[in-house]
Amino acid sequence: MSEKTEEYYRTAVSLSSFYGGKIQVVPKVPIRSLDDFSIWYTPGVAGVSNAIAKDPDKSFELTSRWNTIAIITNGTRVLGLGNIGPEAALPVMEGKAMIFKYLGGVDAFPLVVRAKTKEELADVAERVSPAFGGINLEDIAQPDCFYLLDRLRETLDIPVWHDDQLGTAAATLAGLVNALKVVGKRLSDVKIVMLGAGAANIAGARLLIAAGADPKKIILIDSKGTLHPEREDMDKLQLVHPWKYELALKTNGERVAGGLDEAIVGADVLIAASTPGPGVVRKEHVRRMSDNAIVFAEANPVPEIWPWEAKEAGARVVATGRSDFPNQINNSLVFPAVFRGTLDVRAKKIVDEMVIEAALELARFAEERGISEDYIIPTMEEWEVYPRVATAVALKAIELGLARLKLSRDEIRERAYRMIKKSRDTLDVLVRNNLINPIPVK
Amino acid sequence: MVDSFTIRRARKDDLERLVDLVSRLKRLNGEFDSLLTPTEDLEREVSKYLESAISSDDYVVLVVEDGGKVEGVLIAKVVDRCFYKPRMVGQISDFYIMPEYRRRGLGYRMVEEAERILRSKGAEMIFAEFPTKNVIAEGFYRNLGFREITGIFAKEVK
Repeated sequence: MSEKTEEYYRTAVSLSSFYGGKIQVVPKVPIRSLDDFSIWYTPGVAGVSNAIAKDPDKSFELTSRWNTIAIITNGTRVLGLGNIGPEAALPVMEGKAMIFKYLGGVDAFPLVVRAKTKEELADVAERVSPAFGGINLEDIAQPDCFYLLDRLRETLDIPVWHDDQLGTAAATLAGLVNALKVVGKRLSDVKIVMLGAGAANIAGARLLIAAGADPKKIILIDSKGTLHPEREDMDKLQLVHPWKYELALKTNGERVAGGLDEAIVGADVLIAASTPGPGVVRKEHVRRMSDNAIVFAEANPVPEIWPWEAKEAGARVVATGRSDFPNQINNSLVFPAVFRGTLDVRAKKIVDEMVIEAALELARFAEERGISEDYIIPTMEEWEVYPRVATAVALKAIELGLARLKLSRDEIRERAYRMIKKSRDTLDVLVRNNLINPIPVK
Repeated sequence: MVDSFTIRRARKDDLERLVDLVSRLKRLNGEFDSLLTPTEDLEREVSKYLESAISSDDYVVLVVEDGGKVEGVLIAKVVDRCFYKPRMVGQISDFYIMPEYRRRGLGYRMVEEAERILRSKGAEMIFAEFPTKNVIAEGFYRNLGFREITGIFAKEVK
């Protein structure tokens, strides 16, 4: 591990201690005097409760529920640390909550849960859903995470998201749409190899197929090799990992067996979301791809192949998960905006079409600025991208009949922009007035 | 109905493919229940079993073929129960279809054909055996009108 990373670790620990955690709750109404509690609390609040008791959907209007989501985890697969448990997952969830607020204006509450089984966790999520406008699942081990997303999307009438699945899949699709434009190929024509069959690529494959990729031309590779209908462990997969099983039946039309060495031959696109490199994907692999190859090496902190190596081996468009290289595939471009848009129109669900729309809007945004080999996806500094994606997702929800509030494009865009700006301005004011201490200088 | 599937009796040259299918079946059983964990020399034992079943008149070994490739197998035998009536029953001991070929109605067709042949050999009842925990198989047979009849309980005594 590098010295720089070690330093980040030390800084994070000392500052977390200095500040006593990273988030706090702040009222959004004035308190002119203690008398005001007769309004905000008893007896006044009984009126509000009565109104909601008569019509539970009024809770979206009369409480902060409409803009509050729960970030739910059981801590079973946290970053690269594995199963570290709920308490240890808390700092990560706090960080995620900060990103939700800073980039999306969404109030997010870290809800770490000690659950022994996936059913227990799903049960908790279902039972706390009345408090929230949406749920983001995070850092939950596979295959449980697939069960949870599928089940909660079905049982709840508030939007549910698993960022490790959908955020990565959407950001990948956005980059791929533009990369294909750069090289002049069509999604339905290309051979796509997906290295790694975890949350990111399982969701990624499903999303690519929904967006028009030919499943027969997609090959997924897990630790045992390529997925295909005759693999030895298919029966076991049907029992313990039906999501991988379904993809094994649907994809790899040519039944290429073996591993990356065999599957990569003639591939137009490689999407690697597997173990950190370098050397997981080698230059020889890239050389065996077709002309104008597209390589997304998304592992963190070190991509499966260094981008310059991929380019030297002939790849035309390369992307990674890192901000210090061009074309960063970053979930943070997606989830804050998706929730902003979804919450503003009080959509009941987030369905694949909305996820695809988020990806397409990201792609459009970049295209307007001029795409090239080194610019296929917006960078996080391009602030306007968040209200744009939020608007696109909200409009799609309205189009699909999933929105409880039907607003116009301008209204949505205006709200999204305001909500995000407000959260940043608030932070500014707190810092300027020393209500948030400056970072101590060593 | 015209499709590319053929259900026929197994031949000697099907042996290699059938060893694969029946071994997968035994491993699948092991996934359901640790007391059904296959032995290390599974393929060898399966091969011996299949060789004698394919060439024996007492066994019915059916395969379903798609474009010349065997994708499913059903093995049954006519047995005399001796103490109960009807005495002659057909016992389905092994039944496996490759994952890609499931959920297409082939299972029903194979059991139907097995029933026909077993009846012609004198069977007046059909038994099917599978791990208790295999709820998929249970549902499948119930849909065909089968119900549970005896139970096998097990305990290790090593």
